[in-house]
Amino acid sequence: MTAQATADARAALGDLVGDRAEEWDLAGRIPAETVREASRRGLLCAQVAAEHGGLGLDSRANGELTAHAGSLCSSLRSLMTSQGMAAWTVQRFGTAVQRGTFLPRLTGGETAGVAFSESGAGSDLSAMRTEIRRDGDTVHVTGAKVWVTGAAYASLLVVFGTYGDGAAVVVVPADAPGVRIERVPDPMGCRAAGHADVHLDGVRVPADHLLSGAGLPVALLATAALTYGRLSVAWGCAGILRACLDSTAAHTRTREQFGKPLADHQLVARHLAELAVAEQVTLRCCEHASACWDENRPELGTQAVVAKYVASREATRGAATAVQVLASRGARDGHPVARAYRDAKLMEIIEGSTEISQLLLADHVRTGRG
Amino acid sequence: MTTVDNQADAATGPGAGDVQQRLVAFLGSRTGGDWDLDRDLFASGAFSSLFSLELLQHVEQEFQVTVEGDDLTLDNFRTVPAITALVQRLRGDGAAGR
Repeated sequence: MTAQATADARAALGDLVGDRAEEWDLAGRIPAETVREASRRGLLCAQVAAEHGGLGLDSRANGELTAHAGSLCSSLRSLMTSQGMAAWTVQRFGTAVQRGTFLPRLTGGETAGVAFSESGAGSDLSAMRTEIRRDGDTVHVTGAKVWVTGAAYASLLVVFGTYGDGAAVVVVPADAPGVRIERVPDPMGCRAAGHADVHLDGVRVPADHLLSGAGLPVALLATAALTYGRLSVAWGCAGILRACLDSTAAHTRTREQFGKPLADHQLVARHLAELAVAEQVTLRCCEHASACWDENRPELGTQAVVAKYVASREATRGAATAVQVLASRGARDGHPVARAYRDAKLMEIIEGSTEISQLLLADHVRTGRG
Repeated sequence: MTTVDNQADAATGPGAGDVQQRLVAFLGSRTGGDWDLDRDLFASGAFSSLFSLELLQHVEQEFQVTVEGDDLTLDNFRTVPAITALVQRLRGDGAAGR
């Protein structure tokens, strides 16, 4: 059943993207109808249960779908990451009523962005200044978020902010009075992922838009949401590596220099071997982290960091290798390896930079033995 | 310990000792030492920022409960007896079950 659902989802994703990823990258836009269709088919958050209109995939199957998306178009894959993170946050912290309210919208044509970062709070989310305050039946939200993936397409914003001594998450309709969404003009990578800054000026939403867990430490709320995001990014990077490997393998088989195919030149052959290993290593880390998710193992949070850390570094290096090998054939914006090169670098930054991942992992070693 | 009582504190209800023991074992294994029953998990500085999620995952998996809605508070996870009371209540053990 899952195998069939996964195969169908994969085919649907392939149909939606077709050969248009380059066009979307150059335009910096995915057509709104395509995004809606991806949402409506449940592809953007494929782990949402069937009762909420989702495909009900497990983490492993969704991961493979995410990798497929990553091999085609990292912008669309980024939308999957943010939509999935939004859905997971509602699933994890929402009440049954909130799940029943918001999840069907995320599988019914709508799109959500997850707003963490602020100009003064990137890696250090404890410095967030966006304030969420409850006043009777109303929740007030004021602050400014930056680089919210998918926000330019979104009708819902899942906003993290301070709440008393702790933190909270509130679902804000993008058309609520006081919300202003301003597209990041020229993102270096994932150019069509609709990155935008979000201004929240005295926004008021009904109190039932405030997810449970209000008052919990930001570390817990954010780690739960980011764990999904990290896993999704990691699988997306596996897809980037697959695309790089495919392009590089095809090119080095056919392109001849000095009277023989590039693949017969030893220095090029080494690049091929390293790319192949990078993809395998990345996949194994992703598979392990997804197994932790599917078995609800406590080490999930840590393994998601490991997977994201390994995958984004491998993808960055692998994409650079692919550009090097394809040389002038790949050195044009929009080409799969050129996109991979720009997109992969951003993956070393979002959902916890490489350096923050290192600190998290070192701290985990220092404080525990698990 | 085995007497069924009607106290609000479910941590003293049936099965509580077992839950406490397993929690202490888990915390001990994660810190490499004995875990003091009443120690505040979050004030202790013993854990990394990834730990709070790990703890939540562990409690749900180990005791086959789902912690959601109004039960998602820091106070429910602050000490071993607090977590035990939560688990007991979610499992519907003893008089304090919903």
